[in-house]
This record gives sequence, C-alpha cells and structure tokens, in this order.
Amino acid sequence: MPARRLAWGAQRRRSFLLGIAPAVLVLAIITIAPAVYLVATSLTPLNLTLPGTAWDFSAPAANYLDLAEDPRFTRSVWIQVKLSVATVIGQLLVGLGVALLLNGSSRIRKLARSGFLIPMVLPPIVVGILWRVMYAVDISPFHRFMAFIGLPVPSLITDPNWALTAIVIAETWEWFPFTMLMVLAALQMIPASPLEAARIDGANDWQIFRFVMFPYIQSTLVVAAIFRLIDSIKAFPLIFVLTDGGPGDVTEVTNYYAYRQAFTFSLWGYGSAIATLMVAGVFVLSYLIDRLTGVAHAEAD
Amino acid sequence: MQRQIEPGPVAARPLPAPPSRYWFQRHRRRLGDIGTVGLLLLVLFPFVWLVQMSFRPNADILGYELLFTPTLAHYRALWTGAFPASFLNSMITSLASTVLAMAIGVPAAYALSRSGFKSSRRIALWVLATRMAPPIAFTIPFFLAYRHLGLSDTLLGLIIVYLTFNLALVIWMMQPFFDGVPRELEEAAWIDGCGVWEAFCRVTLPLSAPGLAATAVICFILSWNDFFYALVLTRTNASTAPVAIVNFIQYTGWEWGRIAAAGTLVMLPVVLFSMLVRNYLVRGLAAGGVKE
Repeated sequence: MPARRLAWGAQRRRSFLLGIAPAVLVLAIITIAPAVYLVATSLTPLNLTLPGTAWDFSAPAANYLDLAEDPRFTRSVWIQVKLSVATVIGQLLVGLGVALLLNGSSRIRKLARSGFLIPMVLPPIVVGILWRVMYAVDISPFHRFMAFIGLPVPSLITDPNWALTAIVIAETWEWFPFTMLMVLAALQMIPASPLEAARIDGANDWQIFRFVMFPYIQSTLVVAAIFRLIDSIKAFPLIFVLTDGGPGDVTEVTNYYAYRQAFTFSLWGYGSAIATLMVAGVFVLSYLIDRLTGVAHAEAD
Repeated sequence: MQRQIEPGPVAARPLPAPPSRYWFQRHRRRLGDIGTVGLLLLVLFPFVWLVQMSFRPNADILGYELLFTPTLAHYRALWTGAFPASFLNSMITSLASTVLAMAIGVPAAYALSRSGFKSSRRIALWVLATRMAPPIAFTIPFFLAYRHLGLSDTLLGLIIVYLTFNLALVIWMMQPFFDGVPRELEEAAWIDGCGVWEAFCRVTLPLSAPGLAATAVICFILSWNDFFYALVLTRTNASTAPVAIVNFIQYTGWEWGRIAAAGTLVMLPVVLFSMLVRNYLVRGLAAGGVKE
C-alpha cells in the first residue's frame, strides 16, 4: 500500500512538528528571552534603588570596563579555578577508587552501591548543614574528639587559610558518587576475556588496572570530569551555608560575587555583566573540551 | 595464543608466596567486603550524625553516647511553626513542575527521536546549553521580570523557573527510551487505524513506562533539591523547605535540634526516591554528556 505509506509519512511529519512546537516555544520564552534580557541589563547601570537606571544604554561597555579593573572579580575567578580544579580531581580519584572497590560481585558490595550514592542526591542545602555541623568546633564530633585526645583543631571554615579546603572537602564528598556511578557502569562493560587473559599471563593488580581496565574507562572519566567541572562553576548552597564567601572573601567564587553584586548591593547591571561573562566562559569551556576530547578520541582510535 | 600450562613436576612450579601475602590473597574477597562496609560507614557518618541529632533531647543535643532516649520534640516544634507550609510549597512546586515538564517534553522527545528533522541536532544543542548555563544567568532576568509580571514570591513563578532545567532534562532523557521502541510496532498500530499520537499513546508510551517513571522522579528530585532559585525568587508566601531552613537559621540562630529535624525531613523524600531510580541516575544527571 504505497499510497497509504506516503500518507503515514506525511501525517507523521505534521504530527511531529506539532509535538515539538510547544517545547520549542516554552524553551524560547524561558531561556532565550532571559538570556537577551540578561545581556541587555549588563549594558545598563541598572540599580533598583536609583530610578532612571533601567534601559539606560548611554555607556554600554561601562560594566565590562569596570570588571576589567575590579581586583575582587579577578580574585573570584582565581578562587573559582582553585575550587574547580581541586574538587574535580578529588571527585575523580575518590570516585574511581570507590568504584574499583565496589566492582566485585559480592552481595555486600552490590548493596553498598546504593549507600554510597546518598551524598549526591541529598538536597545541597542539607549537605551544607551537615558539613556545618562537622566544622563547628563546639558541636562537631570530629573537633570534640580531637580536643578529647588533647589535639584541638581550630575550625576550618573560619580560618582564611583553610576555608576553601573545607569547601573542597564538602564538595568532593557530595559529588564523588557521580564519578563512582559512571565508572561502575563503564567497568561492567569490560568484557571478561582480556581480564582473564591478563591474569593468566601473571599480570598483577596494578598492571591489570593500568593496561586492561583503564583504557576502557578513560573516556568515562573525561566525561565525568567535564560534567563536574561545568557544574562546579554553579557552586552556591555549600558556600552560602558554610562560609558565606568568607572569611573576608577567600571563598567568594565568581558565582557568589555576581549574586552579591545583584541581590545584596542591588547593582543589577554589574551583576548581569558578571553572569554574562560566566555564561560565555561556560560555553567556551564546553566548546574547548568538546574539541579536546574529540582529538583524544580520534587518537585513541 | 595462550601459553600451555604443563602439568610438570612439582619443582617446576613457582615458589609459594610468603605466608602473609598468601593469607591476604585467600581472604581478599572478605577483606574487600570489610573495607567496603568500613568506608561506607565513614562516608555516611555526617549524614547519620545529622539524623541522630534530630532525635536527641535538647539538653543532650551534643551528646555522643550511643544510647539515648529519642524524642520527637524537634519534629513537633517544626510542625507548629511555618515549616509545614514550606514543605507543602516544595511538594506543590516540584510536582507541578514535573508534570508540566513531562507534558511538554515527552511529545517533543518522541518527535525528535522519530522525525530526523535537520534541526534536531540544533535543538539538542540548545537544550544542552540550557543544562550547562549557570543558574545566576537565569535568576537575574527572572527576578527582574517577575517584579513586573506579579510572579515574585509565587508558586507559579517557581514552577516556571524549574522548567528551565526540567524541560531540558525530559527531552534529553526520554529520547533514548523512544529510540529503543521499534517503529514497526507503531506502523502496525497505524494499519489498525490509529493516528500518530494515538499509536504513540497506546503502543510507545506503555513500552517506555520505566523511562517515564525514572525521568519524572529525577525531575522531582532536581526541583525538590533546588535552593538558589527559591532563595532568590521567594520571600515568605512561596518559600520552599530548603529556604525555610535557612530562614530559621537566620532568625532563631543555630538551634541544632530543629535544624537537624528539618534537614532530615527535607532529605527523606529524595533519599527514598533515589533508591527507586538508582540505575537511571547517571543518565539523568549526565543528560547530554553521554554520547550514544
């Protein structure tokens, strides 16, 4: 029935357009419109406490020029880089290690997988609170134990030298399960025969990991790293609860700085400029990573 | 080629490993299990500590004796305050946003999976970009616009904002499930007289039920866990449970028992739900990153 088949195809096409249309429309309203609004605001000195600053495009580049000479902004970018690099590396190492441990076939280890993923699904605000408990000298079981054995440790989150490390620890704890789950899934895809062959040939555990397993999970690790790197730029609830950007501004990442400029100081134009740069940065990062991993994949093949 | 292992004389065998290593090899599996349990306890310690704190009487809130008389006093105190209203707000916004995202996103995901439109890839990239963009880029324009639209501090405003990530997630996550349903089944339904969407509802949708359930649960978890949007876009009427916790930290100080109880209540639904969708979690959270 060729005529009917054609009608089927045509009808399908029309129906599909109808299916996509609402989603495209809604996405346009809730993503493109705000993006345009954000960029437009970044070109104005909008301050809600000063009337007349909205839609004032007389000096469109002013915010960006200010940013270039704002040491606090530059510092926030640097803090962000430190935080991102440290947490991503931490998550990859811990996630990979736990995945290798859980890769066994015993029932206990299968059950434990569900337990290990809990940190990742907890509401971030709760993660913040439970680490706040861990870091509070008078409450934390850790601090009180150290005091009990005569080695009191000062609180990490109030110490300018350690506050960022405290955030890194909490963030690593929260997100290592992501890498763990991805690596576990990849480990299960490894065929049994090369592993057996290596074992028969007398390879030790390290050699089996390095030369047999690692090539299979390499690309998974790269993907996990990319995801966590991009998401680490959104860090907010942990910093909000644990340090509020302090002490001083040692944990004030770019995201937090933009939030403060806009929502605390009402400098909406300036905050928008920072947010615009962040979006641009995320896109450039995604593009670069896509290219780099594309090259890596091509070389691996 | 594998080497032939010859059943040679005893002397040709390798020397036995030193006893300690021998013991380690023999108990390798059990040691791994013990290590797993130990590590799990260590990792979940902060989590367990918060839960036990929520049951400790105020006089003994900092105690660490394992045996104590649990009390529900903190939960009762929460019940009489503003917390239940916030909890309800969280429920409503998360559910409504999930339902809305599924209603709009599922047909779109299906159409993208089947149509082979040239623009499919572009739409997919756009959806991915939404996933990658930092929330601050959305909160500023949404906050400014909501002041004029009368959506500040309303549940509807929050539901709309949650669509920014939920809709993208549904479209990304449902497509592979639809890819897995054979077209022939739909064609058979067409021959039996079904329209395109009728065939979709009767044939494809039931076959993708596990995917639908997992996607909906992950949407719910992401909305439920949101803190930043709710902090910025609500004040009192529409504040959600995570914001309520922060509010009473700010107004009444660090009342640990109450905070622990509220934290326990807020994490309860997501911990239960996440166990249901464990196997889909990565696909949901890494939506768009795993190239297939």
